[in-house]
Amino acid sequence: MAQKRPAEARSDKLFYYALIPFASTAFLIILLTLFVLTAKGLPALEFYGLKVLTSTRWLPNEFDPEKAVYGLLPAIAGTLVTAIIAVVIALPLSLSLTVLVEELAPSRVRDILSSLVDVMAGMPTIVYGVWGIGFLAPILAPIYSGLQSTLGSLPLFSCEPTGGFSILTAGLLLAIMIIPFIFAVVKEAYRAIPATYREAALSLGMTRYEYTRLLMGMIKPAIIAGVLLGFGRAASETVAVALVVGNAFNLPLCIIGPGITVSSLIANQFGEANLYPLMQNVLYLGGLVLLVLGLASNFLGILMLTRVRVRV
Amino acid sequence: MRIVIIGITLIAVLAIAVFILLTAGGGEGEVRLVGSGSTFIYPQLQAWIQAFTQANSNILIEYTPTGSGAGQAQMLVDKTVDFAGSDPPLTRDQYEKYKGQVVQIPVILGAVAVVYNIPGVNELRLNGEVLALIYLGEIEYWDDPRITELNPGVNLPHERIVAIHRSDSSGTTHVFTLFLSKASNGAWPQDLVGKSIEWRVDATGRGVGAKGNQGVAQAVQATEFSLGYVEYSYALGAGLKMAYIENAAGEFLQPTPESIQAAARAALPAMPDSPAGDWSGVLDAVVYAEGEGVYPITSFSFLIFWTEYPQDKAEAVKKFVNFILNEGDNYIVEGYVVVPDEVKEINRKAVELIRTG
Amino acid sequence: MYKRRIMKDRLFTLAVSVLGLLALAPLFHIIYTVTVRGVPAILEAGPSFFTEPPAPPGSERLGGIAPALLGSFWLALISTMLGIPLAFLVGLFLYEFKESRLARLVRVFTMSLLEIPTILVGMLVYTIVVIPLGGFSVAAGAIALAIVMLPYVATYVERALDSVPATYREAALGLGLSRARTSLIIAGIARRGVLAGFLIGFAKAIGETAPLLFTVGSARNSLNPSPFEPGDAVPLLVFQFIATPYENWIKLAWGAAFVLTVTVLTVFIALRVVVREVRL
Repeated sequence: MAQKRPAEARSDKLFYYALIPFASTAFLIILLTLFVLTAKGLPALEFYGLKVLTSTRWLPNEFDPEKAVYGLLPAIAGTLVTAIIAVVIALPLSLSLTVLVEELAPSRVRDILSSLVDVMAGMPTIVYGVWGIGFLAPILAPIYSGLQSTLGSLPLFSCEPTGGFSILTAGLLLAIMIIPFIFAVVKEAYRAIPATYREAALSLGMTRYEYTRLLMGMIKPAIIAGVLLGFGRAASETVAVALVVGNAFNLPLCIIGPGITVSSLIANQFGEANLYPLMQNVLYLGGLVLLVLGLASNFLGILMLTRVRVRV
Repeated sequence: MRIVIIGITLIAVLAIAVFILLTAGGGEGEVRLVGSGSTFIYPQLQAWIQAFTQANSNILIEYTPTGSGAGQAQMLVDKTVDFAGSDPPLTRDQYEKYKGQVVQIPVILGAVAVVYNIPGVNELRLNGEVLALIYLGEIEYWDDPRITELNPGVNLPHERIVAIHRSDSSGTTHVFTLFLSKASNGAWPQDLVGKSIEWRVDATGRGVGAKGNQGVAQAVQATEFSLGYVEYSYALGAGLKMAYIENAAGEFLQPTPESIQAAARAALPAMPDSPAGDWSGVLDAVVYAEGEGVYPITSFSFLIFWTEYPQDKAEAVKKFVNFILNEGDNYIVEGYVVVPDEVKEINRKAVELIRTG
Repeated sequence: MYKRRIMKDRLFTLAVSVLGLLALAPLFHIIYTVTVRGVPAILEAGPSFFTEPPAPPGSERLGGIAPALLGSFWLALISTMLGIPLAFLVGLFLYEFKESRLARLVRVFTMSLLEIPTILVGMLVYTIVVIPLGGFSVAAGAIALAIVMLPYVATYVERALDSVPATYREAALGLGLSRARTSLIIAGIARRGVLAGFLIGFAKAIGETAPLLFTVGSARNSLNPSPFEPGDAVPLLVFQFIATPYENWIKLAWGAAFVLTVTVLTVFIALRVVVREVRL
């Protein structure tokens, strides 16, 4: 870095401190959320014990919390499975899109493709949701029936598919929604690779396939970061998932059948939750689990990004 | 250049904003009532609100469909809304807490229709016990003797029954499961009554959850040999075939405005004599009510108001309640059923109970 | 050997092109679906689609979505005025001081905002804004939306700044400019990305549903002129009308979804035009 006079260093410090209040708003909001979720979620944990996280049953009772059984496991597992499906599908598509935009497309087309991805990122989630109900789920329904009749012996495809509302549909819809996310992370790292590497690779006579693979290998941490951040994004999506996941209290063992996720559980049950003692607290606890999961995956993802910055 | 364009856009947007603020400023003497709660009641309430505010242009009423539980909490605990819509009345405990402070007006009747999709079968009779056994997973095929016995002369196929149910927390499920527990001679366990329950048929692979009335209606439409339960209005809207359900008097009836109102009349003895009274027992009384011509899976929906409001709001609330009671019948949305005259008489007392405070 | 390498390369190019285009395909189908179902609804409603409240359910008329349009206008205006400057500064901080430990923490927390289900953001704002103010309001909804857009805009801004080759930054610093000036210059160079970030924030503000469920109040019987009263929003109307049995409401929902989509598209096309015009 360039040598600086003390006065400039002081103004830089000032700049730094002036930005801190703004930069810490996210921290404050998270802290506040953590506080509210913990304060409201802990009573459920105290009352029901760890059972509330491990049980697979959901039996509310209007009068006596003792008689009620609340288990968040199907929702937590559903969140993990839908998000994993989403990432597994979105990753090859996002990587291909990166190569297409960065390497194959002529520069004019590249701009257009890039803008289209931005539009995908900006498209309201409710629009994805109505598309999911109106198109995706109905065309998947007969495919699921086919899967069940041919591969029904596998537990993954063993259940009765109805109307196409399922864990897999939710995973697919989420995959589409997180493509721009993973793309943005990977593209940024890919662009940051100094041109000298590319030139060196080409001068060695590598084909495009070979040197793309080489470059992708160099930014592996960024790809992992994209996966982690995309995973986190998929895990918290509410409206679109609630519209297509089927919202049934099943463990996501059969992916062509309906399941539930933590955020769709909250969206589904919140409106009536005050009528049951402690149900709202259980929902807040679910939110807390989601947030902790998210903090962890983000922390790892950002650690990865730092690594790629150091390396390249 | 860039700054010019952005600047012009910003100025234009701000100008429009200021223009709207200045020109549309709320009229003098305008009263605004805000409510929230039951999603079931929302379409009918919208129809009433629009008809009412056309005649009373100085009153604005807005209602958010967030769910009965949220509506009750927002009105009673948080005081963020002026009134609530709720499918269940206040429980006895809550009633004791707010006694004298609130009125609960049963304005609308709901009914749960049992809908089915069996190609070629256009008339199907079912009773509480058979429905319970289907949803417990114990009856597997449509031509089970326990079903054919109720349907002499109907050619039921040897196909597995797909039992579709609500997956979200819902009053519809509560009413339906309450009916099952009352009408199945003990086949349906007491602890499986509620807004969201554990469906044993799911474990057999023949049970499917769908979100909302619309979700169940769509699932039944899309799935041959399926069965489901939805609000009457959704059954009508989707054009689904509705089963005839056996009532306590041994008759098989479909939901109709007449059979639904008959159920409300049959529950009269269990009702308090005023909207200020305790309504917590009324659902239990109206579901599977004794009496002829009664559709057995019927329920009430309530509007809950405070007894005291600031003067302008008190006047507006009274006018609105009067409108619903006197002219409401003219603006009924298809699938909704108003309470019978006997219940309206009780409701009329609400107007005197609401005062300026 | 050489032939196999060429073959592999061809195959790779083909696969990547197909998969890459496949990734974009849903966007086109979404636009198609929303257009095919939304446009007839708007045509049927006529101009009243933009000037009237929704007609009662089940009636022959459609009415319109005017309260929702007005509400979304307010929500977008207020939430972007709150959220975008804030998010820009956060993004700037993340870029400029990325080597500091604090920035890493800020990044983790900012990204983690994405993890809070948006319905809980709505509940949070309900607790800290709606209850103290004593009722639903457009302003409360806008605060919830500002929180929701913060991580999107901040990360986009940071990415955009980061994509500017480091040499520019070094040159500016080498000239003796302060870091504040330097980062603003970098932001100028990366304006396309920065603007895209702003627009994604704007798109989130007009497109989000769940944060509004407990904050805005679905007030769609009258045109609410004030942001401090309950209001409506276009996505909220879609969410609440699409799953009803009433044909006229379902049509309004599709029409509203079309309006949302067109707004987002228009904004992004506008961005391209603006950026091209100002190419230095």
